[in-house]
Amino acid sequence: MAFPGPILLKRIPAEPGGRHLHRYDDYVATGGYESLKKALAMPPADIVKLVVDSGLRGRGGAGFPCGSKWTFLPKDIHPRYLAVNFDESEPGTFKDRYLIDYDPHILLEGIAIAAYANSITTSYIYIRGEYHREAQILEEALAEAYSHGIFGQKHAGTEFTHNCYVHRGAGAYICGEETGLLESLEGKRGWPRIKPPFPAIAGAFAKPTIINNVETLACVVPIVEHGAAWFKAMGTPSSSGPKLFGISGHVNAPGVYEEELGIKMSTLIEKYGGGVKGKFKAAIPGGISMGILATNQYDAELDFDIGKKYGVLGLGTAGVIVMNDQTSLPRILRNIVRFFSHESCGQCTPCREGTSWMHKILNRIVAGRGKPHDLDMLLELSQTMGAMPGTTICGLADGANWAVKTFLQKFPDDFKAVVKSPLVAGVSVPMAVTVSGAAAAPAGV
Amino acid sequence: MPTMEVDGQMVSWEGKKTILQACNDANVPIPHYCYHAGLSIVASCRICLVEMESPDPKDPAKMVKLPKLTPSCQTPAVDRMKVTSKSPKAVANQKAVMEFLLINHPLDCPVCDQAGECYLQDYSFNYGRAESRFEEDKIKNPKKDIGLHVLLYSDRCILCTRCVRFTREISGSGELAVFGRGAREEIDVFPGKTVDNPLSANVIDICPVGALLDKDFLFSQRVWFLKSAASISPISSGGENIFIHHNHGRIYRIKPRFNADVNKWWISDEARYTWQFVHENRLHACHRMQYGSFVETSWERAYAQTTEDLQKAVRDNGPGSTAAVLSPFASTEEMFLHAKFARSIDPQAWLAVTPPRIDGQDQVFKNPATGAVTFTIRAEKAPNRRGAEKITAHFGGNACALEELAEKIKNKKVMAVLASADPLPGMDKPVLAAIGAAPTLIALTSRHTGLYEKAGLSMPTCTWAEKAGVYENCDGRIQAFQQAIDPLENCRSDGRIFWDLLAHEGTHSAAAVRHEMAAAGLADYANVAIPQVEKPLEVMEFSAL
Ligand SMILES: Cc1cc2nc3c(=O)[nH]c(=O)nc-3n(C[C@H](O)[C@H](O)[C@H](O)COP(=O)(O)O)c2cc1C
Ligand code: SF4
Ligand code: SF4
Ligand code: FES
Repeated sequence: MAFPGPILLKRIPAEPGGRHLHRYDDYVATGGYESLKKALAMPPADIVKLVVDSGLRGRGGAGFPCGSKWTFLPKDIHPRYLAVNFDESEPGTFKDRYLIDYDPHILLEGIAIAAYANSITTSYIYIRGEYHREAQILEEALAEAYSHGIFGQKHAGTEFTHNCYVHRGAGAYICGEETGLLESLEGKRGWPRIKPPFPAIAGAFAKPTIINNVETLACVVPIVEHGAAWFKAMGTPSSSGPKLFGISGHVNAPGVYEEELGIKMSTLIEKYGGGVKGKFKAAIPGGISMGILATNQYDAELDFDIGKKYGVLGLGTAGVIVMNDQTSLPRILRNIVRFFSHESCGQCTPCREGTSWMHKILNRIVAGRGKPHDLDMLLELSQTMGAMPGTTICGLADGANWAVKTFLQKFPDDFKAVVKSPLVAGVSVPMAVTVSGAAAAPAGV
Repeated sequence: MPTMEVDGQMVSWEGKKTILQACNDANVPIPHYCYHAGLSIVASCRICLVEMESPDPKDPAKMVKLPKLTPSCQTPAVDRMKVTSKSPKAVANQKAVMEFLLINHPLDCPVCDQAGECYLQDYSFNYGRAESRFEEDKIKNPKKDIGLHVLLYSDRCILCTRCVRFTREISGSGELAVFGRGAREEIDVFPGKTVDNPLSANVIDICPVGALLDKDFLFSQRVWFLKSAASISPISSGGENIFIHHNHGRIYRIKPRFNADVNKWWISDEARYTWQFVHENRLHACHRMQYGSFVETSWERAYAQTTEDLQKAVRDNGPGSTAAVLSPFASTEEMFLHAKFARSIDPQAWLAVTPPRIDGQDQVFKNPATGAVTFTIRAEKAPNRRGAEKITAHFGGNACALEELAEKIKNKKVMAVLASADPLPGMDKPVLAAIGAAPTLIALTSRHTGLYEKAGLSMPTCTWAEKAGVYENCDGRIQAFQQAIDPLENCRSDGRIFWDLLAHEGTHSAAAVRHEMAAAGLADYANVAIPQVEKPLEVMEFSAL
């Protein structure tokens, strides 16, 4: 099936002038809360099965199958919680904000359905500190939903009641990592937890907890409305459904667009993003922690298999950052690593020290004081800290490493050009063996 | 018993253990920093990562190898598991972590108190690389005075958070926290707070590096010159197990000694810092009163006078006119000889015990999160009241409380008293008040006390650090302690003095006295376990931490 047109964004027209915030009445007038009604008439287990069958995978970055996550909840432990991840701090990512800016009730409806399906009585929407406006919008939407009986009271014909709260973060990227989020929600320092126990067993306040991204929960609404087969018909076998893509960087029409998963990046950029400004050089597929796509990977299919096929970490948040041939990749990489070094929670030795070390080396390189062996050092660091699987508690270190590793491997000449020869004559510094010998990035399958 | 193979060695364990716990117990080394057996597991330093294979739960004949490195401190040990900390991957990680920990670490070893007992030094040697590849500027964090006893050199800190967890989970006082983020983060106290809880100095012990240092010990001695003795704290009735670290007859510091049943890994600040009395205000000669003033006398004459004075009292006033006052600071062996000597001269000699000072209530510390009791500081401030009671009971016959004895002295029933004085400053007030008026007062005392002033004859004795023996703690646990330093110049222990007075043959030793006690029916003393120190500077093994 071809993509039938906007699903999550059905209330948000592409042209800026036509967009407006949908309040409760607007939402209901355009078919809102029908899915919830439908869901409440179903046994909860059937909804979970529906989501399993739809093949919906998490939209927050990791792409974990949403339905199976829900089935991990232990049968008899109550209360249990839903934590909605609206921390959206990944650079290049602004899709959740866009959705909430205009259509907050789609999230609330998704939350209500997920809560009913999983016998959850309390949900928390964890929203990043800088999203002042969105916090306000959600508070207002929640108040409307409460006054219309979506939350806070029994739904007709069921025993199901459910409360939902907005919890504002203080502006730390690491609080988007699901267990960092839980710590922060509990009022502690946002340090990711060691696992096990997994949140589904002992999450918020040591109770079973599901953590889902805003977009993931929004997807549940059309799934209930149209069924699993309809959802699965979009996208690819392993990546079903529609997806919000945020496009930024050197394109003529940056913004959030909805398409089915598996769309070629080139198509996305040309059909929606207004084409590249200048000549395409590179792109980051989905938030800066995913690594970089090379010039010859312009046609990469944007789905959850992108990692294996194109030598990146994954699709991530699908926040595509496009760069033209005027871009200095060393500067971009320096900025990316600066971000990770600044946002590392500081718990794990490799991440705390490694990101800061890489940042300092890149600062030097960008300032024109780089040496050829710096590139080898960067490559080595990016392959020991975090990227050597298991060496850190959470994925932040991996994010930093994939950026460094793929930038250096896919664009070695850009980096070699900026590192000068050693200043002291007669002292030979071995040339970067690994960098110079790096295989050209695969052109894609 | 479940068994796993770690680096080619077989390791068995009982109950639920993580890989690292089982290895620590079996003395199979796996490097670790953030893990401490007494604290919660955070698995954040990442140096303990290992590779492992474990039996497939579905098909136990098959082994499944985990592709990832695994934190051994966090991962449960499973029967038939195969673990390696020496595979190329694991070693590469150890090297990387060591390098990361050192990039911002100052080259302070020559001026750092921790040098010699530093796990950054030891692990650098065992797991690190020789040269530094860091060409950038180091982050320089400040030195901070964070508490009564504790100094924080934050640039040396490796952010293992052991100290933070200690104040949260053991002392329950939570003064410390991590501030800031990433490589700029630092350990610090909350504004307006200092680390001054009664267990504060334990954070110094558990700090694997020289970041938390002891103000009291600061720059006073290189640790490799120190020697160690396994001892028992004489400060309270809890009987905290300690090491006395000393050199050339001087104590430099006291460190906790692990005992799962008594003090675990911890000691109170009081037990740690109350040892100055060993070196202050000490007596070095026997003195007797002659024409209203003190004159020095020899040990021989003091011994002779002791026996004569007591015998004379019995001759003049009949049996039951002398008394022995036992100190709850003396070892049980010493009290045994004390009582035995008293009864050898006067079969009806009164036995009395100086009551220990009670400081309010026991201080009980709890983990605020779990409510579990983590430590108790006993209100009773003497190590061996129970030993004294046991000896008094053993000898039977005339025994009375100290106040009663005071009455008897006032009523001229008791004319001569042989008293062992408590060694701690200010502790002899009640004894003095009770027995100061005795016509004949012989005092065994280590320092210039009120008792010394009043005594017609005094002999300079040893503190606990200068002798061996056993104490019985408030829970009835008999614990032996080693002698740390030689008796100070011309001092003799109570035990030695009574051994001589009883004209026992051979050389005095606590063990010989215990032998005698066991033969006399005190069966508990037949086989007392004597703690041993195997290395010159013994501290708690890091692997046990
Ligand atoms: C460092 C880090 C930051 C993250 N930030 C976010 C975020 O801002 N928003 C989000 O939805 N997921 C974020 N994630 C992913 C979450 O950990 C988690 O996988 C996700 O919220 C699960 O929801 P989903 O299955 O619906 O995608 C982050 C992960 C890491 C490692
Ligand atoms: S990997 Fe980095 S951000 Fe994640 S827990 Fe460890 S130190 Fe914190
Ligand atoms: S001060 Fe010592 S114990 Fe505390 S975090 Fe630093 S290294 Fe660890
Ligand atoms: S991570 Fe295991 S000891 Fe620190």
